[in-house]
Amino acid sequence: MIEVERLTKRFGSTLAVDDLSFSAAPGTVTGFLGPNGAGKSTTLRAILGLVLPTSGETSVLGRPYRELERPAHQVGAVLETFDAHPGRSGRNHLRVLARAAGFPAARVDEVLALVELTDAARRRAKGYSLGMRQRLGLAAALLGDPQVLVLDEPANGLDPQGIRWLRDFLRSLAGEGRTVLISSHVLAEMAQTVDEVVIIHRGRLVRHATMAEVEAMAAGAARVRSPEVERLVSLLADAGVDTRLLADGLLAVSTTPERVGEIAAAHGVVLHELTAERATLEEVFLELTNAAGEQ
Amino acid sequence: MRALVAAELLKLRTTRAWIGYLVALLLLSGIAAAALAGGGAAFEIDSPEYQRDLVSTSVSAGFIALLVGIALVTAEWRHGTITRTILVTPRRARVLIAKQIAAFVVGTALAVLAVVVVLAVAIPVLAGEGGGFVLDAGMIGRIGRVVLAAALAGAFGVGVGALLKSQTFALVAAIVWMLVLEPLFRALLELVEREGVADFLPGQALGAVDGSVEDALSPASGGIVGLAYVVGFGALGWLRLERSDIT
Repeated sequence: MIEVERLTKRFGSTLAVDDLSFSAAPGTVTGFLGPNGAGKSTTLRAILGLVLPTSGETSVLGRPYRELERPAHQVGAVLETFDAHPGRSGRNHLRVLARAAGFPAARVDEVLALVELTDAARRRAKGYSLGMRQRLGLAAALLGDPQVLVLDEPANGLDPQGIRWLRDFLRSLAGEGRTVLISSHVLAEMAQTVDEVVIIHRGRLVRHATMAEVEAMAAGAARVRSPEVERLVSLLADAGVDTRLLADGLLAVSTTPERVGEIAAAHGVVLHELTAERATLEEVFLELTNAAGEQ
Repeated sequence: MRALVAAELLKLRTTRAWIGYLVALLLLSGIAAAALAGGGAAFEIDSPEYQRDLVSTSVSAGFIALLVGIALVTAEWRHGTITRTILVTPRRARVLIAKQIAAFVVGTALAVLAVVVVLAVAIPVLAGEGGGFVLDAGMIGRIGRVVLAAALAGAFGVGVGALLKSQTFALVAAIVWMLVLEPLFRALLELVEREGVADFLPGQALGAVDGSVEDALSPASGGIVGLAYVVGFGALGWLRLERSDIT
């Protein structure tokens, strides 16, 4: 369980995270989404006790990370910045961590095998590819077989097979009742991995929804062309439907074409064009974050 | 804490930086010993004073230990390994204390090694001059003081590194301080007839411990002042680390 409560973080005059609250439950993979610079990494680092909140609180397994008895046994994290010394081999990097956290030395070779890095383990980390660096980070996170996993943009640098492997792996961890929180700036990348999404923009919460709800948002949209576009807009607004005028007199509507057709027919509005729109997940994501940005 | 200290020592052994420290130590102590031993004919080579001065050429170990202590913290910032270190040990004071203990151990080891190097150079030279090396209680005491000073210098370096954070800045600052600024302050203090104050500067205090500075504090007082620098800079470094966002 991860909880973030009214978290605010300021860096000088920059407000990175603004009164953000959400939680990630055990047994689910929660996607943490937002465009680059939305405050995702700052939030994750605050959860992990690396960044000090300006105000608000975070907790993992019911306690602030800094107060956990044995954090490396309870929480595994992979952050975006590479955190191994370039001159140290991957295996020695893990040996240092195992020594500090009190894990048996044999565990190092186990996690190396698990992330398929055994062959490169004795080479210095400066020669590692982006994908190998991600795998080394994951190996470090998994040393303690933790109940909670926090991953910042883990898909970066992984090839398609690697992404697939990661997805199956995270799903199986959640299946065992663990809490997985994973950030990304690409919604589509996470669609098959996550159960829930927390979307933020400019440090604020935009939406916390299940993946099924997000997919439903993608389904229910239409485009209309009408010579009486202004009248149609006000009728739709009365019915609680959002509209947006696109170029060439085309109107984007946030409901199904059936509903638009019914409203138009009931008021005798002429339509010249009515098409169902199945937005991609990315469009839903952009729509949500743009709407939040305009507020 | 044992595990954390062991992890810090493993960190030191698993990159190649230790080779540089070792080479620097061998060169500094070896050359200093050879220079003094080579000029031995001008002195009474059997006198305890001369022989103790000879062993004191191993004080370069303290200087190297100071740099190792600094780098133990600053290299973590430089290479971003601080993130993983703090994730494993979120109580940051524990990280610094473990580093201080590790640097104390490394300072001890460096000084012992330096003494061995100095003796390896000096004993054959003394024998060639027809003198013997006298390992009396005074000599053993002097060696012990050299080792203690180097160990304190290592632990002091951790505090300096934690306080200054930037590797280049901290290493350059330490070198400039020891070689330029501290002698300058000493000279200025002498000008205004306050040379007693200069005894409390870190290099002077540690020099009183290892016997390389004369007319300074007693070895015991020097040790207490050195320990105060370890604790004081450790606390300042902890304040800086505690308030740092690791991004």
